[in-house]
Amino acid sequence: MIKFENVSKVYSGSSSPAVNSLSFTVPTGDICTLVGPSGCGKTTSLKMVNRLIEPSSGAIFVLDERKELVNVLDVNPIQLRRKIGYVIQQIGLFPHRTIYENIATVPKLLKWEDKRTRKRAEELLEMTSMPLEFLDRYPHELSGGQRQRIGVARAMAVDPPVMLMDEPFGAIDPINRNLLQNEFLRLQQEIKKTILFVTHDIDEAIKMSDKICILNVGGILEQFDNPANILAHPKNEFVENFVGADRALKQLNLVRVEEVMDPDPPLLTTKQSAEEALEIMRKQDLRSIYVVDEERKLRGYVTRRLLSDKSGLVDEFIQPYQIVIQLSTTLRDAFSEMLVLDYSHVCVVDSQLRVCGLLTTEMIQKTISDSKISGDEEG
Amino acid sequence: MQVESTPTQANRGLWREMVSGWLSVLTRPNQETFYNQKRNVGYLKTILGLGFLGLVVGLVALIIKPSILTIGKRNIFLDLALVILYVEAGFLIINLLIFLIAKAFRGEGKFIEQYYLLSLVSVPLGIIFSVLIFGGDKLGLTFSAILNPLSLIGVIIILVIISALYGFLMVLFAVQTSHNMKANKALSTLGLILAGWGVYAVVSMIVAQEDNSITELWDFIARQWARGFLQHDLLGHFWLVFFSVAVAVLIGVVIGILITLPPTRPSTTHLFFFIPLAIFSFLWAASSGIFGEATAAGIDSTVRSWDVALRGGGGFFESLLIIIGAILRKPAAIGMIGIGVTLILYLLLLAGERASDLTLYIAGIILTIPSIALFGVLIKPLGIGAFNAAFALILYAQLPILRNTYIGIREVQPEIVEAGRGMGMTDLQLLLQVKLPLAVPVIMTGVRVSIVMLVGIAAIAAYIGNDTLGEYIFSGIQRAQDVRSIAGAVVVAILALLVDFLLGWIQNRLTPVGLREG
Repeated sequence: MIKFENVSKVYSGSSSPAVNSLSFTVPTGDICTLVGPSGCGKTTSLKMVNRLIEPSSGAIFVLDERKELVNVLDVNPIQLRRKIGYVIQQIGLFPHRTIYENIATVPKLLKWEDKRTRKRAEELLEMTSMPLEFLDRYPHELSGGQRQRIGVARAMAVDPPVMLMDEPFGAIDPINRNLLQNEFLRLQQEIKKTILFVTHDIDEAIKMSDKICILNVGGILEQFDNPANILAHPKNEFVENFVGADRALKQLNLVRVEEVMDPDPPLLTTKQSAEEALEIMRKQDLRSIYVVDEERKLRGYVTRRLLSDKSGLVDEFIQPYQIVIQLSTTLRDAFSEMLVLDYSHVCVVDSQLRVCGLLTTEMIQKTISDSKISGDEEG
Repeated sequence: MQVESTPTQANRGLWREMVSGWLSVLTRPNQETFYNQKRNVGYLKTILGLGFLGLVVGLVALIIKPSILTIGKRNIFLDLALVILYVEAGFLIINLLIFLIAKAFRGEGKFIEQYYLLSLVSVPLGIIFSVLIFGGDKLGLTFSAILNPLSLIGVIIILVIISALYGFLMVLFAVQTSHNMKANKALSTLGLILAGWGVYAVVSMIVAQEDNSITELWDFIARQWARGFLQHDLLGHFWLVFFSVAVAVLIGVVIGILITLPPTRPSTTHLFFFIPLAIFSFLWAASSGIFGEATAAGIDSTVRSWDVALRGGGGFFESLLIIIGAILRKPAAIGMIGIGVTLILYLLLLAGERASDLTLYIAGIILTIPSIALFGVLIKPLGIGAFNAAFALILYAQLPILRNTYIGIREVQPEIVEAGRGMGMTDLQLLLQVKLPLAVPVIMTGVRVSIVMLVGIAAIAAYIGNDTLGEYIFSGIQRAQDVRSIAGAVVVAILALLVDFLLGWIQNRLTPVGLREG
């Protein structure tokens, strides 16, 4: 748990506060995003938790490893920082140290035994799905995405209950950023850290967070809620503008494909005959249909035109599929891929490529029209 | 590309390509030109181009100085053919040498690329050179004519030097481009060739016992070495520089660090500074006779006996022991300097980065004082000899060392420092584990600069009675014996190069592995 109580920061030489009487609580195990325009004091707020910046007034409490709530201002800042994970945008790996030595930074400061540190480092590389031989490499030998993973692993080295992440994916290209975000969310399912996350990107905030804290210039808290509520009920005009006019579309970010898809679509198996297939399609008025093998793994699709007046097994006429959507994909990503390829329906599969369902644009439209905000939008 | 072309057309295209290649090297002297020319490589073109060069050189020689063509005697065509053959063969041999060395430096190019690109430089510049040199020779070109740049010959010599430099740069570009090398590796490649040629030339002169200034110099150096005089001065020189740099690094790095830190408020822990201050003050006071003549005399006789003990023997380390002894003999001065250094360090600790500009400014000013003047000024407080010289050298070495320490630490990327601080490193841990290791390459560069500088200045320390290589230079001037002065200067230069090379190696060792270039 991280708890802000009337926290303010006024920089010396400045009359207006950078952070103004901020109060909110992040429940244990949640990711809370601080988001807002530049100058809103989001990074300042973050850095006050590990006292890289000292608050001018107020108190910040974190749950320590003994599950006791302590005011960070009562703790020696050096000791405090060693027990709070810290990830920054530029990563800041030490270029003169190997990956192992980088990960071992805090364990070494806390005087861990070498054996324990080594074991923990190996464990962390496994968790972040990186090969163990990276331990002896130097940061310059790794790609940007790999370095970012190491940065996260380094922050988790002593398994701190609380982590601070300052735009951790900000310097990474969009494709890798998406990948790293998904990976990190998966990791978070396992580690359940309490995370304070700073970003300027509302999409990232919606995707990553359990709670979003929207700040305005001068460090004023505009709204603190979960992403769905912020999208559905923006508290005021500032939040509404910040979230953007496309918040109906953004809400698709909060829905996973599996919640919307048709879990029992019509399917063919490779062993069925062409006549049989035509019969099924005619009955259900389909122009095409997906084909799976005995293990329900997707093989491709056949169309009515392709099969008309043909005989033999469906197997001979299978066309390769163009795209599939993974179960855990957000509706927004799925929709965007369907728009790009101009598909009205796609197959939803699990990680073994087994067919789990079918997603059509009508289903997505229905989701949007069902949600309350589309009504607000029109009105 | 034309599908069908008659042989004459093809040849005409070949010549046009070559001539445009030569012209582009002359008119657009940059690496891009060579990269563009990489598309046109060809053996035939190279050989034809060099044949053309040989022909022109032969013709120029025939017109201006036919006596140089001795082999063919009366047969002009045989002469010309031989000149062309020499040019072709010489160029091929040099190319093979460059190619082998470039490969040893991990050059990536094909032989043909280097062969063609170098020919693009050699042909036009070779023609210019042959005209300049044969023309200069006709006009009576001699070594001493350099001294008169206003004469026609002087102008020609300046032209030769300019085109030689231009040619060297172009050859460098060509080697760099054809092997995709970095400039320093290409420079090393050519440097090795030139050094090899130089050594060959000198050795062959010495072996043949030719009578010229180079063999005279060699004889002089060999004689001095055989008598042991040269080693003595060489060691004196070396130890004076070594000692001064060692002390200068200790002080300079500390000052460089202090002026990167935030200002400190005075605190009780600073009483630590009182210890050296008290010791140095006592030393100064006691040896100046404040506690009575007896104490001063006691200290004096003690340090004298130390000095005498140090002077006896020591072999290789003798010169170092003499320097230490000479410093020990002046306890009052040690006390004064100690008080000064302690106070300066303490003031810098209090002021921190606010004093950085002033400190660098003062260190810069020190460097502008002529060394002879500084040695002279220091004679009164420090006397002549090693103490005076070492003190001055330590002062001179400060700027490069403390400036590079300051810059090296300041230029550590802020995010690395923030990451370290955010993970709970203390300021001292941050300095010792992160900032200093990352600054080592920059600091070492400063140390290298100051050492090479001190090797030069130490020669002048001979003026105030130090046994350094400067003795040869000064005695050469006094006795009007050029060879003495040149010998001293040459050995100083060789010493500076050797030390710099050695330090380069050490610098590479000290650079953290993660920062070294692949």
